[in-house]
Amino acid sequence: MFDFAIAGVQAPIFLLVLVGLTVGIVGGFIGVGGGYMVTPALIVFGFPGYMASGIDMTHIAGKGLVSTVRHRQLGNIDWTLALSMIAGTMLGVELGVRLLVYFKNLGITGIVLLVTSVAVMFTLFLYTQIETHRAHKKMEKMEKEGKQVGRELQTSNLPRLFQAIPLAPIVRCRTARVIVSMWVIVLVGMVTGLLAGFLGVGGGFIRVPALVYVIGASTHVAVGTDLVEIVVSGAYGALRHSIEGNVDMMAVIFMVAGAMIGAQVGSIATAYVRGPAIRYILSYSLILATLGAALRLVYVLTGQNVQWLSLAAVVLTLGEMIFLCLFISSLVWFAVRRRGGKWVPDWVGSLVI
Amino acid sequence: MAEIDRRKTAFKFSFWLIVSVGLFWYIVRSYTSGQMINWYYYTASLDGYAVDANLSMNATKDNPVMLNIAKQDEIKGLMAIPVAKGDRLPKNANGVISLAEIKTGKRVALEGQTIKVTVPWQIKESKGFKYKDTFKHKGIQTNPWSGAWNVAMVLCLGLSLGLLAEGLTDLMGMKIEKIDHGH
Repeated sequence: MFDFAIAGVQAPIFLLVLVGLTVGIVGGFIGVGGGYMVTPALIVFGFPGYMASGIDMTHIAGKGLVSTVRHRQLGNIDWTLALSMIAGTMLGVELGVRLLVYFKNLGITGIVLLVTSVAVMFTLFLYTQIETHRAHKKMEKMEKEGKQVGRELQTSNLPRLFQAIPLAPIVRCRTARVIVSMWVIVLVGMVTGLLAGFLGVGGGFIRVPALVYVIGASTHVAVGTDLVEIVVSGAYGALRHSIEGNVDMMAVIFMVAGAMIGAQVGSIATAYVRGPAIRYILSYSLILATLGAALRLVYVLTGQNVQWLSLAAVVLTLGEMIFLCLFISSLVWFAVRRRGGKWVPDWVGSLVI
Repeated sequence: MAEIDRRKTAFKFSFWLIVSVGLFWYIVRSYTSGQMINWYYYTASLDGYAVDANLSMNATKDNPVMLNIAKQDEIKGLMAIPVAKGDRLPKNANGVISLAEIKTGKRVALEGQTIKVTVPWQIKESKGFKYKDTFKHKGIQTNPWSGAWNVAMVLCLGLSLGLLAEGLTDLMGMKIEKIDHGH
């Protein structure tokens, strides 16, 4: 047990390292900060809610940088895309925070936040799941026909629509292999930033699908590029929280230490899978987070009287972290087996490389 | 050539290991020495009495906590030190009971040179699955520079740990090559 003097709680160090490790694996793999998983975990360990948010946001900035370094080595970052998006992201985050304050003044923040979270995450889950399933089937068919299957395949027509917008300046993103109007990139940054600022999260689970389905980047590049955004928006959020006094630095550095290992595992694992595998994991993470938020919404709507709903939401969130880590590990294990010419289940064959 | 590369990766790993350990040690030391905590409990954000919240957290109507008002630079035990908005907090203070709250007299009351704390007030934050009231962190203004310092430290630590891990995999001879993004 360590005495966190600023947070005013005593908590075991290994649990914080473990949370950093698991969220590092998931975050490094699907390009999210994992705020929706870390904050409930910290509250369960006894950290006050405001402190949990501050610690989470600050650790996201550090962890994001650890993952970014590895994704840079893997060539998953499109710097043109990332830098073009930053201004839009920051503006969006600020607008989102102001919108949140507006709803706070109306006194309906809790319900609006939960309803928006459920609606956004469920819509993204549906679209990602349906599109990824189509891409997966197509890849399986190609493999059976003996055709060469690349690392990426996506079946959405949305990127073509957005790439056809002729508004100058037009930007060439070399790593993402995309030519698109700068305004589309800025707009994507702004809209995803607005949602992130409003919901109080890093926004990776919104930005990664947006980079894939709007800009047309490959999933690997979307993950790496999004992590750069997460470092910037995380650092901004961390600064605001720190000035408010919501950060206990010792808790942050224990979590970043765990994330150092987790982020390596998650980032390197992307080299073993094809794009749809990452999108599958992202969509499962979205539906599990949606269920957690839906349980909390029912808990709030029932006047916070049904205690088991709150408990179930926390258990679901913690279970999600373990489930996603196991899923990612099993994909890597199957990829290694496949490379060695050993048997793997049919459905996995076209997801790993 | 291979020899030079090995030496290079060994240097890279050693360098970032030293930087990471140094940063970790510096953060832990500034936390345990109280420097970071002094930054956190920096100034009062309202007029009132600075207290050691840990001593009054279990106060009830039947078992009130009596805090003696004193004008000192350091809180020692059951003590409350008057502070004005913007004043530097005395040592060991981690909360401020506001004058406005004392005037209402519902939760805390002024009795001569003593403050009677009957019900913990202000923050209702979740503690595990239960809610617990605390005086802590209320009425506190942190040093704005400490926010920038926190962010800078976390980013430096993240960068050095990332490069340390990169150096380690290089040293272990793990071939991590760029992914071909050809669609």
